[in-house]
Amino acid sequence: MNDPLDDLLDARLRDETPYIDDAGFTRRVMKQLPRRRVSWSSQRSFIILAATILSVVVAYFASGEGMFVHDAFARISGLQQLQLFLVIVACGIMMTVAGLWVALARRHETIV
Amino acid sequence: MELTDGDLLARILVDGDQHAFGELVRRHQSPVRGLLRQLVRADVELADDLAQETFIRAYKHIRSFRGEAKFSTWLYRIAYNVFREHVRKRRELVGIDEEQLQAEADPQTVDPGLRHDLMNALASLPLHERTAVTLCCQNGLSHDEAAHVLDIPLGTVKTNVLRGREKLKKMLAAWAT
Repeated sequence: MNDPLDDLLDARLRDETPYIDDAGFTRRVMKQLPRRRVSWSSQRSFIILAATILSVVVAYFASGEGMFVHDAFARISGLQQLQLFLVIVACGIMMTVAGLWVALARRHETIV
Repeated sequence: MELTDGDLLARILVDGDQHAFGELVRRHQSPVRGLLRQLVRADVELADDLAQETFIRAYKHIRSFRGEAKFSTWLYRIAYNVFREHVRKRRELVGIDEEQLQAEADPQTVDPGLRHDLMNALASLPLHERTAVTLCCQNGLSHDEAAHVLDIPLGTVKTNVLRGREKLKKMLAAWAT
């Protein structure tokens, strides 16, 4: 059986733990936080975007001002309907798989 | 659905989301400020200054949180270290030592008319017992967690809690009769 004084003490200790109202405390802390640095994920996104634009520009001029695009469209326009349909389905599947892979990778990062 | 501490920490670590840290501060400010008020004997302004320092330090070192303990336990540990640094600085400034700080409120000098007040009784305990009782009996930490926060052996925590409770019981017994 518990000592009544122990019970009294436990009850009093719990009672003596009131919730302290925030009263602007969080705001004061947030104002004193060091300035936010650009996160690595933002930097990475910027680097990938810049590299992509640069690559497109280089490829455009290195390929006779985009003649390969013109040629590719010419080849596609020469495909039969079924071949064109299969190309579109294949592209769709590849994009879906890539999207799912990125989404699952991000979810794994969040859990860890 | 409310985000867990882990979700908020992930947002801070992955996206540098300061709003997520603000939510963590809102959630944990009360127990951290309460602990520091106990440690500095209800000097509210000083306790809040130390609490601010605790959260700022937590933000700066958020990547060192490994998730081995609860986030709240990690915060208590930082708060206790901030308090110890404050005591050390104060000792250097005015030439008093920790034992003197502990003895400032000797049980014999507490106003008998206020002895029924548990807060005064708690404040009269030596620092190591007061801290252990506050963490374990008020803030609900296990002895293991308190040992981690205070960076002392588990047995010492148990002894400090036991001794502190015995002293408090004596004070409450006198008040109850």
